[in-house]
Amino acid sequence: MTVVAHFLLVFGGLLAVVAGVGAVRFSTSYARIHAAGIASPISFLVAGLGGIIELDLVGAGYIVIAALAMLVTLPIGAHLLCRAVHRATDNAHLRIDDLTAAEHRREPNET
Amino acid sequence: MITVALLAFAFAGLCGVYRLLKGPSLPDRIMALDLLLTSLMGAVVIDAVRRQDTSYLVLPVVLAIIGFTATVAAARFVEDEERFGSGAVNR
Repeated sequence: MTVVAHFLLVFGGLLAVVAGVGAVRFSTSYARIHAAGIASPISFLVAGLGGIIELDLVGAGYIVIAALAMLVTLPIGAHLLCRAVHRATDNAHLRIDDLTAAEHRREPNET
Repeated sequence: MITVALLAFAFAGLCGVYRLLKGPSLPDRIMALDLLLTSLMGAVVIDAVRRQDTSYLVLPVVLAIIGFTATVAAARFVEDEERFGSGAVNR
């Protein structure tokens, strides 16, 4: 196990701790979803990079595919969740709310 | 050192479980489950490195796809509350 791989794995773990603490400590729903939705894929990427260095070609291929699949899909899920929160709750605490303004400007029949 | 990384991913999972139990609204719970899935994926990678065995590395690929599909489906359900009308979302 090279030192770089050790460092990358532990750093991925630390980023996962950051994602967990962010998901627990933040006050509003948006911040929690943002923390969990952004920090956790990065933690998987960093840990996967450590894994790519260590494992043979087959393992590296699996990790690259999983990382690509996650990078493409998780932001969409996080975005949809935040939009669901926006529509489900009365966003009184938001100082700047562009989505509501944008939605009012649209014609009423457009979804 | 690798056990430190595994413990870190386990801690992230515990935070996900805490948010899952406490989460005031449904989207929080959905994202908590997604956080659990992601930390499981990371733990599988680290365990594969620890055992120098790549047979289990299919699991993160499957989890990435399934986690996304579940999140999107649940987000659609949460969003169209008046059509499904389950009252799961506390206004």
